[in-house]
Amino acid sequence: MTETMIELSRLQFAATAMYHFLFVPLTLGLSFLLVIMESIYVVTGKTIYKDMTKFWGKLFGINFALGVTTGITMEFQFGTNWAYYSHYVGDIFGAPLAIEGLMAFFLESTLIGLFFFGWDKLSRHKHLLVTTLLAVASNLSALWILIANGWMQDPVGAEFSYTTMRMELTSFWDVMFNPTAQAKFVHTVSAGYVTGSMFVLGISSWYLLKGRDVEFARRSFRIAAAFGFASALSVIVLGDESGYAMTESQKSKLAAIEAMWETEPAPAGFNLLAWPNDATQSNDWQVEIPWVLGLIATRSTTEQIPGIKEIRAQNLERIESGILAVKALERLRKNKDDADAKLVFDAHQKNLGYGLLLKKYSPDVAQATPAMIQQAAHDTVPQVAPLFWTFRIMVVLGFAFALLFGLAFWYSLKNTFVEKTWLLRWAVWFIPMPWIAAEMGWFVAEYGRQPWSIFGVLPTHLSVSTLSEGSLYGSLAGFLGFYTLLLVAELYLMFKFARLGPSSLGTGKYHHETAAA
Amino acid sequence: MWYFAWVLGASLAVLLAIFSGMQCEARECAMQNKETDH
Amino acid sequence: MLDYESLKIIWWLLVGVLLLGFAIMDGHDMGVGTLLPFVGKTDLERRVVINTVGPHWDGNQVWFITGGGAIFAAWPLVYATAFSGFYWAMLAVLWALFFRPVGFDYRSKIENTTWRTTWDWGLFVGGFVPPVIFGVAFGNLLQGVPFHFDDNLVSYYTGTFWELLNPFALLAGVVSSAMITFQGANYLMHRTEGAIFERTRIWAMLSGLVMIATFILAGFFVAGLPGFVITSSVDPGALPNPMDKSVVIQVGAWLDNFNAQPLLWALPALGVLGGLAGVVLAYLRKPLTAFVASSLAMAGIIGTAGVAMFPFVMPSSSDPRSSLTVWDAVSSHLTLGLMFWATVIFMPLIIFYTSWAYKVMAGKITTDFIKAHDKAAY
Ligand code: HDD
Ligand code: HEM
Ligand code: HEM
Repeated sequence: MTETMIELSRLQFAATAMYHFLFVPLTLGLSFLLVIMESIYVVTGKTIYKDMTKFWGKLFGINFALGVTTGITMEFQFGTNWAYYSHYVGDIFGAPLAIEGLMAFFLESTLIGLFFFGWDKLSRHKHLLVTTLLAVASNLSALWILIANGWMQDPVGAEFSYTTMRMELTSFWDVMFNPTAQAKFVHTVSAGYVTGSMFVLGISSWYLLKGRDVEFARRSFRIAAAFGFASALSVIVLGDESGYAMTESQKSKLAAIEAMWETEPAPAGFNLLAWPNDATQSNDWQVEIPWVLGLIATRSTTEQIPGIKEIRAQNLERIESGILAVKALERLRKNKDDADAKLVFDAHQKNLGYGLLLKKYSPDVAQATPAMIQQAAHDTVPQVAPLFWTFRIMVVLGFAFALLFGLAFWYSLKNTFVEKTWLLRWAVWFIPMPWIAAEMGWFVAEYGRQPWSIFGVLPTHLSVSTLSEGSLYGSLAGFLGFYTLLLVAELYLMFKFARLGPSSLGTGKYHHETAAA
Repeated sequence: MWYFAWVLGASLAVLLAIFSGMQCEARECAMQNKETDH
Repeated sequence: MLDYESLKIIWWLLVGVLLLGFAIMDGHDMGVGTLLPFVGKTDLERRVVINTVGPHWDGNQVWFITGGGAIFAAWPLVYATAFSGFYWAMLAVLWALFFRPVGFDYRSKIENTTWRTTWDWGLFVGGFVPPVIFGVAFGNLLQGVPFHFDDNLVSYYTGTFWELLNPFALLAGVVSSAMITFQGANYLMHRTEGAIFERTRIWAMLSGLVMIATFILAGFFVAGLPGFVITSSVDPGALPNPMDKSVVIQVGAWLDNFNAQPLLWALPALGVLGGLAGVVLAYLRKPLTAFVASSLAMAGIIGTAGVAMFPFVMPSSSDPRSSLTVWDAVSSHLTLGLMFWATVIFMPLIIFYTSWAYKVMAGKITTDFIKAHDKAAY
């Protein structure tokens, strides 16, 4: 396995996953906004709310199509490109993926047809039920995939079996109620709600600025403002919870995000801004707020948070213990009844993954030199600067959303937002921001997990399929080409229909139609 | 139990938005409707 | 809780059920996609054809997705080895499938002939290519695939993409494509009338006959093909590791199961007779019963291939010991049990709401319907 193969596999996964996540958050958020609009239609009977559901539903559909397209890639990519990973953890990881299909995708994809084509065939209440179940099903799909991803970050409820040479499930309950998965789920779906709300708020603001379809846009704006406000607050609270879960399970990621090289006396300070320098293992400069990090990360004033240097030193010991585990495992593979090897293995098994880290440098772990061990220990904390900055961009955007939606909600209660052109312009300009925040978030979560694909268990460099470099270059190029074309088609339609606005429904009541008539 | 918090929180957020919309129908929006007649 | 051995067999059956569900459901809309350029002569007619499956293709496609997920959960080694080994074939399937969501949803949103024709061909590719490749893949499984494991169970595929395209595999590709086209044609007749119905009827009879002929031909081929036999004693209740067994290759071994259990000959018979019944019913203009008949034919054909190989799932031609079987490619007892119950709970629900969706949308799609729903229909 060459370094290039591993890099290419990672690049392909990162590109396709981040691309998939361009469409996911809008589906998650907009589906609930459709439920809200249609509920008001069903209660008040006002057609304008039906038109709203249909129009935003049209945009929803354009986005959904690419969500499905790119999701198919994801479902099979673990097999095509991460074969050893799939073997090693499929016993645990496959189950949530299969349940996601059975429980969520089937429902979501069956109902979307009825959502679009069932307007004349279903009673109002039945159609609302369809829309609601569609929203719930999208969120359930997020639940199961994030349980799977949460397990990669914090592999609970499983143990290694040396007969089958893989991880095996011991408690599905633990996997499902994994605190990391829970925090991840609520944070991520809230991010989706913010995205959906921002989309509706921004496009409605644009109509208002143009003075087009004002009645339609005002109502959409109000709904998005209220839903977005609640979601923006929840993203912040639950982002904080994600950070707290990380303190428990991934101290290396936490330290890197905070650019905290030394272990500081509790409660540690929070680096608001800094210039991390991996070469000197220190920050060239930093702006620190005392106490805050300790409070956020441990929710106490006395618990210590280890710094990067200390984490690397601890992991050095774990690697040395891991070497013993790997060696004992090799003896067990030759003779299952070797009692002595079994004893050694049991004692060091929890560090097996750390021993495997060395395979990057020395295929035979027993031959690893002290320099290699040093290097492997160094690898256990990912590069600091990228994590430090992406995390801060996400957080700043999080607070900006809270402010924007707070103002939007406030003025919509007072019913004066139509005159606040600065607010409307801000909303239009902010449409892309939730996507940026969400992509940054995934970068923090996934890059911050390196060098592991399963934290503490399976290194990324062992997880890949044994494919040729040519195949990998070819498939990567194919994906990039395909995805670029699809994105162009999608954006073209999105802009076209957003510009057309509700006139695209052909009811004859809206701007372009009345202007033409 | 964050899953439970999600069930509760998402429902409340949806309700909040529905009420915000309906409250408008009952007051200002209803008045403006007379002028534009939708 | 069920014992490990029973669960291993149940999961072999369940994967078969999922595959059949895929063939019946996604099969019919892929068949419709295959026929689209040939039975729809004008834009309006093509929209009729597309809208017969418009509300349903996405739900149907989940049979494929869930099939992938279920194989991951129940047979992780098969998921890992087959998909990475058949890398380019798999990518071709995925890339062909890309055309469907976008094709269905975007095609009629713009009134431009080039745009629409492009997506019509995209829908054709998305309907035609995957069944062919699945057939080719089955054809290769029946012959064994060149792969092996090392000591840590890392898999290595040593063949090339072009080797997959051998004569027997291509024949299997034709069987599969004909089968799916037949299924799609029967469905399309059920939902259309007039000129489209008549054109489709010809295609139904034609593809049904091709399916029967190539299936029988493939059967004779298989009788002379080298099959695989486990020679060591297997403990079906043991923890799975494929390297713990020994396997030999024997010509004609794929018929062993049928000879041992003559009742199993009912499966190939079902394939042929169901196919014939379907052709006759299409001729008699009874599309709904023809659809049932072609579904039964597919059950027979897929069942035949599965039973021939049992207990093998993915035999290795280059290192027979590495072959993956129902006994040793599976996940742990706990996971198999868990996934069994998940399937038992959700599968009836899925069938329930899918039937409901078809019921709500039932009825013929006509050109008048499309004209009346110009903005909303696909
Ligand atoms: C937080 C949410 C989330 C995340 C992290 C992912 N997905 Fe996703 N996925 C969804 C949320 C979602 C969704 C909201 O349910 C989608 C997006 C748009 C859509 O149509 O459904 C979807 C669609 C979607 C589909 C198409 C389903 C259909 O036909 O209806 C598949 C097969 C996958 N995804 C698979 C994956 C895999 C294997 C992932 C991980 C590697 C993944 N998704 C990450
Ligand atoms: C859709 C949202 C997601 C995004 C945007 C995303 C992003 C990324 C990125 C940026 C990487 C590359 C990290 C690196 O190599 O530096 C990566 C790797 C990876 N992610 Fe995710 N990810 C997402 C969801 C998931 C989910 C839900 C899972 C599993 C259930 C997952 C599993 C993996 C795996 C297996 C790798 C490759 C191994 C590795 O590099 O660690 N990802 N992802
Ligand atoms: C003050 C605001 C925020 C805080 C404190 C915060 C905190 C976090 C933390 C700590 C993680 C990493 C979790 C892990 O590695 O396991 C994360 C991930 C993530 N964030 Fe945020 N975040 C905030 C705002 C946002 C916003 C506004 C969005 C998008 C609209 C967003 C989207 C995401 C996503 C998609 C992930 C990856 C999934 C996950 O790991 O949960 N975040 N966030």
